Amino acid sequence: MRPAETGARRGAASGRMRPEAAEHEPLHRPLIAALLVGGLAAAMAIAVAGIPREHAPPPAIARQARTIALPKWGLTEPVNEVVYGTRGFDTFGETFLLLAAVISVVLITRSKEPRRGYFGEETAAGRERSRPGRAAPADAAEDAARRAEHREQDGQDPAGQAGPATPDRVPLGTPAPETAAAMTVVTRTAIRAALPVLAVAGLYLVAWGYAPGGGFPGGAIVMGVALLAYAGFGRRRIARIVQPRLLEAVEIAGAMAIVATELLGLLLRGSFSANWLPLAAPQTIASGGIAQLFSASELIEVGTGLTIAVFTLLAMGHDWAQDEQGDAGEKAGSAGAGTPAGRSRP
Amino acid sequence: MILANYLTSAALFGIGLYAVLTRRNMIKIVMGLSLMEASTYLFMISLAYRGGSTAPVLLNPPPGQSMRALAHGNVADPVLQNFCLTAVVIGVAVTAVFLSVVVRIAQHYRTLDCDRVREMRG
Repeated sequence: MRPAETGARRGAASGRMRPEAAEHEPLHRPLIAALLVGGLAAAMAIAVAGIPREHAPPPAIARQARTIALPKWGLTEPVNEVVYGTRGFDTFGETFLLLAAVISVVLITRSKEPRRGYFGEETAAGRERSRPGRAAPADAAEDAARRAEHREQDGQDPAGQAGPATPDRVPLGTPAPETAAAMTVVTRTAIRAALPVLAVAGLYLVAWGYAPGGGFPGGAIVMGVALLAYAGFGRRRIARIVQPRLLEAVEIAGAMAIVATELLGLLLRGSFSANWLPLAAPQTIASGGIAQLFSASELIEVGTGLTIAVFTLLAMGHDWAQDEQGDAGEKAGSAGAGTPAGRSRP
Repeated sequence: MILANYLTSAALFGIGLYAVLTRRNMIKIVMGLSLMEASTYLFMISLAYRGGSTAPVLLNPPPGQSMRALAHGNVADPVLQNFCLTAVVIGVAVTAVFLSVVVRIAQHYRTLDCDRVREMRG
């Protein structure tokens, strides 16, 4: 199986057309995997047969969470009491796991930076460069492709003329194709109607402390609002708000607020994540003491964190490496305009 | 029969693991991992359920009952629901990291096939 496979692969590589991964699936994989998964499934089936079912008494920890929610925290929502009160330390750790994930995404997706500083290749390559014919100017096609790429990155359409300031400026019935950033009038109107409702709903989940989860679903909705605005109106409309520098600062501010909320419990009440705020009446905007403060900080943290992660993924640069045949031309050559790999074309 | 939920979540976990073990497209591997995450959500929410229980919300008690009495009534386990909430957020974050790594690998090796990535390395 192996030699035939590599042979087929080599033949495909020379023809510059690669077969899809599914086309030559080795048979041993599904067999071994089925064996392993079947064994694990059997073990899990035996395990779940023995765990408590719907008629078992609830565990003590659940009963305790339910009974202390109202007297000790003034919350009518035991889930929220567990998230921000009893198991506040768990949520604290989770927040910073999310922060670590966002930082990883930002780091991994960061495009290559131009090098600063002296590396010596100017001197080393000087002789070679002065030789005639080495530094041949790029051909016209490459220049055109690169100019188009730059225009596209500046937010103009590649045809040369700048697009309209907003998609709404495009008059109705224009025969020209829709620019990529714009959606149809129907979609844009629907988004315009849904957006404020969604934003208010997300904030409402947080403002009233008895919504389960508080800041987590609220933050996810904030991210959805930003994404919806992006889908409907394009990058330029949200560029002032969804910019990495601003969002990163706001996210760190949210994380600091969470740290302060939890640490003040240690300072004022003697234990980390203890409640140090007076309890308001249940079902009011301030009920739950620090749970509400924690939840609001979590909204900032989760909302900005998810927005950063999603928009960073969406805006990942065209950092394609050249493949082994060196045919970076059509696919990557024009796309990698900002990178050294894109410039050094054979 | 909550046992059906447990078995379904075990089956979902198995399907996800099978996808991770057999697929070579890295996007499909990430999908398999997401399926495994989702199976744990189903498992924890099912574990929180008790026969005939209501959501753990101590609001609008039936006439003649106080909110405190509601807390001692038949209510689903809030601690496991909290675990599920935590797991959802972690799942989203982890999937975002996976996907960004996949895009980087695709950009570096020009392929989504993990076999081919290994081949290129040596």
